[in-house]
Amino acid sequence: MFRKCLWQRVLLVLLAVAATLAMDIDDARAEYGDIVINNYSDAAGMRPAIFPHWFHRVRFRCKVCHADLGFKFKAGGNEINMVKIIDGQYCGACHNGELAWSVENCNLCHSAKPGTQTQVHESTVQKLAPATLQKK
Amino acid sequence: MKIKRILLASLSLLSFCGVVSAADAGKDLYTKTCGVCHAAGIAGAPRYGNAADWQPRIAAGTARLYASALKGTPKGMPQKGGNLAASDADVKAAVDYMLASVKTAAAPAKPAATATPVAAAAAAAPAAPPAASVAAPVTNPSANTSGVSAADINSFNRLLKPIGKRNPPPAEDGIHDPTNDGTLALMAPLAAYGPLPKSLAGNRINWVKAIEENKINPRWDRNDPAATPVVIDLNIVREVKGSMPDVVYPHKQHTEWLDCSNCHPAIFTPQKGANAISMAAILLGEKCGVCHGKVAFPVSECRLCHSKKKEVRPAQAAAAAAK
Ligand code: HEC
Ligand code: HEC
Ligand code: HEC
Ligand code: HEC
Ligand code: HEC
Ligand code: HEC
Ligand code: HEC
Repeated sequence: MFRKCLWQRVLLVLLAVAATLAMDIDDARAEYGDIVINNYSDAAGMRPAIFPHWFHRVRFRCKVCHADLGFKFKAGGNEINMVKIIDGQYCGACHNGELAWSVENCNLCHSAKPGTQTQVHESTVQKLAPATLQKK
Repeated sequence: MKIKRILLASLSLLSFCGVVSAADAGKDLYTKTCGVCHAAGIAGAPRYGNAADWQPRIAAGTARLYASALKGTPKGMPQKGGNLAASDADVKAAVDYMLASVKTAAAPAKPAATATPVAAAAAAAPAAPPAASVAAPVTNPSANTSGVSAADINSFNRLLKPIGKRNPPPAEDGIHDPTNDGTLALMAPLAAYGPLPKSLAGNRINWVKAIEENKINPRWDRNDPAATPVVIDLNIVREVKGSMPDVVYPHKQHTEWLDCSNCHPAIFTPQKGANAISMAAILLGEKCGVCHGKVAFPVSECRLCHSKKKEVRPAQAAAAAAK
């Protein structure tokens, strides 16, 4: 029984190797495309915000955020803060209680482990460059 | 397609395996789910291998521990560790696995007591030679206080991410704070991905097909669900030096998702051949790498971009003939 199991597992692992080229040198396990935004949160005593691309792209094309709403293609590059959000900019264009749940749900956005840096999780750059070389 | 079917078949074999060996299943679930909190003692969770943490709890009886693990506790132990897909038997096996770690720590002098976890660890390690099951009691996992057994250190894949660690739910993904109540309210990627066509990298979803097959219909305008994108069907072929197939850049798949202004002129001058693009730039997150390797499918999928077979060029043909 044990040997049979072992053989199946080895087969499985070999298949996994054959099936993917991606190597994960970093220990991060976040979902591909998850963005941590932490320009101000830590300093303000809030958990950093996490924006999940996978969840939003099921509902919106990139154009909605990156052309219509003016999100630049750069994690942390939009200087988002709460005043802008409650005035209907950035996340606030949708998280307004009409299109999507409103800002009082702090902990749904501010959900990262305290101290997590601004970054795009699982990105090629994150995996190839040592953390110290990465742009903040 | 074929690969996928084999993969699925072997996955089902794997789960069959799990039924055969409860110790295996317990360790697997611990590694995948429970270890997130119980390895380091997050939020006061009793630590793997730490007898002092467990002693008062063990005193209350194993039945209560099983019940706490299955139903959760008000002091922070989530129901089934947040992994509601886990079977009751596996959760109990994971409790046993943690309890075994402190039994050995409590009585390090008794080699007999170490046999259980070591055998479990050896059985779970895909690459451990069969002989390991015979030689098991030689190593003592409790010597390693972090809860990593010898079999883990020499696991088959050191750098490649094991299948069980892909698309983890938020509470286990390493960036979300599992002690935040909001985290537990977030959707797990795999719950959303069920009906979507799969791929081998990134989110492991083929987003191009997902739209083509109408599995999803993401909005083009945030308020108007009826608005449709301006799709243009224009392929740009970029010749590549060396053996790699030429790159075909397709406007069609891109304009399904993006506006012309997302790329023109900020990333690419709209003129065939006017842009210097190299793999080095892409890997560094420039040009195609602005999106590929961050949100769109990653660079590992060479053939999605390098998709046009070269005609054999005269020089290469001559070289081949000379051999
Ligand atoms: C829709 C998502 C979202 C919600 C909901 C939300 N925030 Fe934020 N918040 C953000 C983002 C994004 C930032 C920018 C993070 C950064 O750069 O550190 C931010 C920044 C902040 C900051 C630091 C910058 C500033 O404006 O002072 C504070 C403090 C803050 N949020 C508090 C809150 C509180 C309190 C709530 C609940 C009432 C809340 N947030 C709800 C997304 C959100
Ligand atoms: C619901 C809004 C939304 C949608 C839809 C969306 N994004 Fe984003 N995107 C964001 C936000 C927010 C950020 C982070 C910006 C910040 O930190 O200031 C971001 C950042 C990025 C970045 C920058 C990463 C870096 O290098 O730092 C890329 C690339 C990107 N998005 C690509 C895409 C692509 C491709 C799509 C479509 C498949 C898409 N996005 C869809 C909101 C969105
Ligand atoms: C999100 C963090 C987290 C995860 C994941 C987690 N636990 Fe816990 N666990 C805790 C915390 C915190 C406690 C202490 C709670 C208490 O004292 O009631 C705890 C306590 C326990 C206890 C002791 C309960 C008692 O009554 O004394 C058991 C048994 C247990 N966990 C089993 C598991 C198993 C099995 C898994 C994986 C399927 C798991 N835990 C995953 C946080 C976690
Ligand atoms: C184009 C509109 C739009 C923008 C911009 C947007 N969101 Fe959302 N977001 C949504 C919608 C719609 C939902 C789903 C709401 C629901 O479930 O009712 C959502 C859900 C979420 C969720 C919960 C996901 C889950 O697991 O249920 C998080 C977290 C989130 N958004 C964070 C953010 C942050 C942070 C920003 C800004 C950086 C942002 N969003 C910007 C539309 C948007
Ligand atoms: C994802 C990025 C991207 C988007 C979005 C995009 N393009 Fe392009 N476009 C390119 C690239 C890459 C080239 C090739 C440039 C090169 O070869 O140097 C190109 C080339 C062109 C050319 C030159 C063709 C030629 O034969 O010289 C035109 C015209 C053009 N695009 C129009 C558009 C229009 C119109 C849209 C919107 C409907 C659009 N593009 C959207 C990336 C994009
Ligand atoms: C602005 C973001 C962006 C840029 C820049 C970009 N892409 Fe894409 N690309 C996407 C998105 C989004 C998709 C949809 C598939 C996905 O998300 O995985 C896509 C899909 C594709 C596909 C279709 C694959 C299929 O399954 O049909 C190819 C091929 C491709 N990209 C090649 C390129 C090349 C080559 C470049 C550079 C010349 C480039 N892309 C630049 C965002 C981008
Ligand atoms: C997102 C699309 C994309 C992916 C994925 C991709 N390439 Fe490329 N590759 C390109 C483009 C665009 C060029 C530049 C072609 C040119 O010279 O115009 C290129 C060029 C090259 C070159 C020629 C030398 C150079 O740096 O310009 C080699 C070799 C190469 N790629 C290998 C690979 C390998 C190996 C992989 C898989 C690990 C891969 N590529 C994945 C788009 C891609």
